[in-house]
Amino acid sequence: MNTRRWIALILRIALAAVFVYAAWSKLRQPWLLFAMAIDAYGVLPQWAVMTLARALPWFELALGILLLTGFWLRYTAMVASALLAVFFTLMLRSYTKGLQINCACFGLGEAISLKTLLRDGLLVLSSVALTALAFGRVSCSARRT
Amino acid sequence: MSRFLLLLCCTLAVGAVPSQSSKSAPPEVVKSVGVFTAPIAIEVFSDFQCPSCKLLYEQTLRPLTDDYVARGKVYLVHRDFPLPQHAHAREAACYACAAGRIGKYEAACDVLFRRQEVWAADGKVADTVCSALSPGEAKQVRALAKDPQIVASVDQDIQLGQVAGVRQTPTMVITYKNQRYPVAGAVNYDLLRRFLDQLLTK
Repeated sequence: MNTRRWIALILRIALAAVFVYAAWSKLRQPWLLFAMAIDAYGVLPQWAVMTLARALPWFELALGILLLTGFWLRYTAMVASALLAVFFTLMLRSYTKGLQINCACFGLGEAISLKTLLRDGLLVLSSVALTALAFGRVSCSARRT
Repeated sequence: MSRFLLLLCCTLAVGAVPSQSSKSAPPEVVKSVGVFTAPIAIEVFSDFQCPSCKLLYEQTLRPLTDDYVARGKVYLVHRDFPLPQHAHAREAACYACAAGRIGKYEAACDVLFRRQEVWAADGKVADTVCSALSPGEAKQVRALAKDPQIVASVDQDIQLGQVAGVRQTPTMVITYKNQRYPVAGAVNYDLLRRFLDQLLTK
């Protein structure tokens, strides 16, 4: 296995663990608490907040399992990158507006701070790198065959 | 049971403070609303100078008091958690507690949040609180605000917040059947109402 494949494997497992943990931390708490945390961002109407609070943890769990198994890796990595980029943008917006709200990344009780922004930024970069490696691997093997 | 333990801790902490005069009510009593035996207890850690706390007070705690506290479903406890970056927050907390000693905590909270932008800019905390009181009450509150016991009660709230893991204001700690649910930020009342109803039907 070459270096690129090793890096892709490590990134895939790390991101899968992050998504599964994020899902678990939300699912173990009442979904309305998560809904309150989403609502605090002030970007969605209430019906959307409630739908997202119910659906997002399951979506994160599915994404984590897909990343772990490696099925449809290109698409899964792309979706993960887009999701993480949206989270990062919303967190950055809240931070720059001075909103003292929960990040709600891994359950409750963690305020948005430079630390959470740095962590989420790192996750975005990792996911983008995985997407690039996934596309690169497929195109390389396509050229070989 | 957990509420009993919490109250016991508060009582012990208050006991550590120099003895209070027989006329003064302990801080726990003056800053709580509702029936102690209510199935749900909510502790609100807030800072009078924080805009989100103002929002929570005006848009969530007022209807909560009418719909749940007045009906014996929720026991609401106010806790002071003045943040160091807010220059007048601690003084405001002391004046609110002092007003609480003469049974005027709600009146002090109301005026402090309503005129937050004004006193936060000019620093006239005492004048703001006293504007909601009679001249006699104002004189009492001005004297009580400098009382070391009042200052100690604010410090005690801060310590309780730190123990409860409060990192931002406002933070509500909802306790139901030994389960504690911390909720940070200016929570939407409709979502909070749904959550409380869900707990009560459990």
